[in-house]
Amino acid sequence: MKPTFVYKFFGILALVGLLSCGKEPIDESGLLITGRNQCFMTFFDLLGSDHRTVLVSGQTVIDTTALTVTAVARFGTNMQRVKPYCSVVTDAIVEPTMGIWTDYTQPQKYTVVSGNRQVRKTYTVTVTLQK
Amino acid sequence: MKKITYSVLAVLGIWISMAGCQTKDVTPDSLRNDLLKKTTGPAVVGDRIEFAYALGTTEGDLQNVKAEATIAGAKGTGFSGYSWYTNRNTGVDQPVQTATDTVTNGTVSSAKIIDVATNKAVTLRYYYYPGEEAKGKDVSFRFSGTSSNGKEVSYQSPTYRISRMDMKRSLTLVDGAKAYVSVADMAVYTKAEVEQNNLANKIDFVYIYRATLGTGNYGFGHAIVAPSNADYLKDVTLPTGLAKTRTAIDKRVDVKDAQLRGTTGFDVYIDDLDLQQTTFPNAADYAYGFAADQGAFVKTADGAYAAYVYVNSVNNGSKSMTISIKRLKLN
Repeated sequence: MKPTFVYKFFGILALVGLLSCGKEPIDESGLLITGRNQCFMTFFDLLGSDHRTVLVSGQTVIDTTALTVTAVARFGTNMQRVKPYCSVVTDAIVEPTMGIWTDYTQPQKYTVVSGNRQVRKTYTVTVTLQK
Repeated sequence: MKKITYSVLAVLGIWISMAGCQTKDVTPDSLRNDLLKKTTGPAVVGDRIEFAYALGTTEGDLQNVKAEATIAGAKGTGFSGYSWYTNRNTGVDQPVQTATDTVTNGTVSSAKIIDVATNKAVTLRYYYYPGEEAKGKDVSFRFSGTSSNGKEVSYQSPTYRISRMDMKRSLTLVDGAKAYVSVADMAVYTKAEVEQNNLANKIDFVYIYRATLGTGNYGFGHAIVAPSNADYLKDVTLPTGLAKTRTAIDKRVDVKDAQLRGTTGFDVYIDDLDLQQTTFPNAADYAYGFAADQGAFVKTADGAYAAYVYVNSVNNGSKSMTISIKRLKLN
């Protein structure tokens, strides 16, 4: 085997190795940007000050076409201080961040952003209170 | 000659270095002591701090024990006359009297060990009840023991901060009767008592029990409601002149404070920082659906007090609820 061939072989191998060490793309929050373009919400919940759900079971409807979430909160819930949570399709994120105390006396808007950060869908979440 | 000198020096060097590494035989002290603080929660006025002070001797007999606190304790402070052992058949701890003449005089508590012929090692309990003057201050303890051959041994405890909180246990609230709670007084009043004693400005919340409420007859249960909430108090005849203050109330279901609960086996404690740092943005002026072991953080409308109201028990039949309160003065 000629020495030049060996040098070339190892040179290419090193180049491939270096390229494979390149950083994966991440967003400003440090989350991985992937190739997925699916973008929808799968689950929604609302917690009271005692960190228990305030929603009436079976009354939450997520419409991924109309981009709406409707739910019913139990009688007596303090709608000014509730904490929303949701699940989204793989790799998607939600803006603004859920999981903080929020006033739900008015409908709130949340945008689901796909894994590749190219598709954005804004959901309107409306929670009515049992009276 | 030179060779001999070097050899002698080398041998000498080895001998010195080896001798330097030898451990010296130390005679153990014939009288020894040790201390264990058994209480894990914050030191609150109304609750005690418990220590286990161990003393043992190999010469002579144990005679006396003494504990000196930097601040005099309240009633109940002092040594217990009993040590404890675990019954191997039942697994239950059982007391054995090992000390007598347990006396507390000012900051000093003492006890005399009995049955000295058999009690060569004892562990005595020392209880310290912080008094009002100790609130917010540091307290430490110097424990000491003596033996019959005149030896004395002592143990200086670390410093412990006494909480600024106040605590009141087992206040029974009854719907339509003892229903008016004042956090400033840590007391419950009836409508008549509020009116007679002119306490209308001191009531922070009212206790009500309604099995269901609302047009849909939704479950409601045991509730505390600030006087500002007209919805839930519309069927209650409030005391004359009751100030309609909006007390901030934030329900919790997972804060089972061991001191308010009054039983062992729980290690969750609310301390000064919890009440100092608890914020109440958008808090409700009511909390409902209480069950035993639940509670609520409360901040009085004037911002003077933050408190945790713990529910010890509820009774739907008698429409009553027993609560315990930890309170911190904020300003």
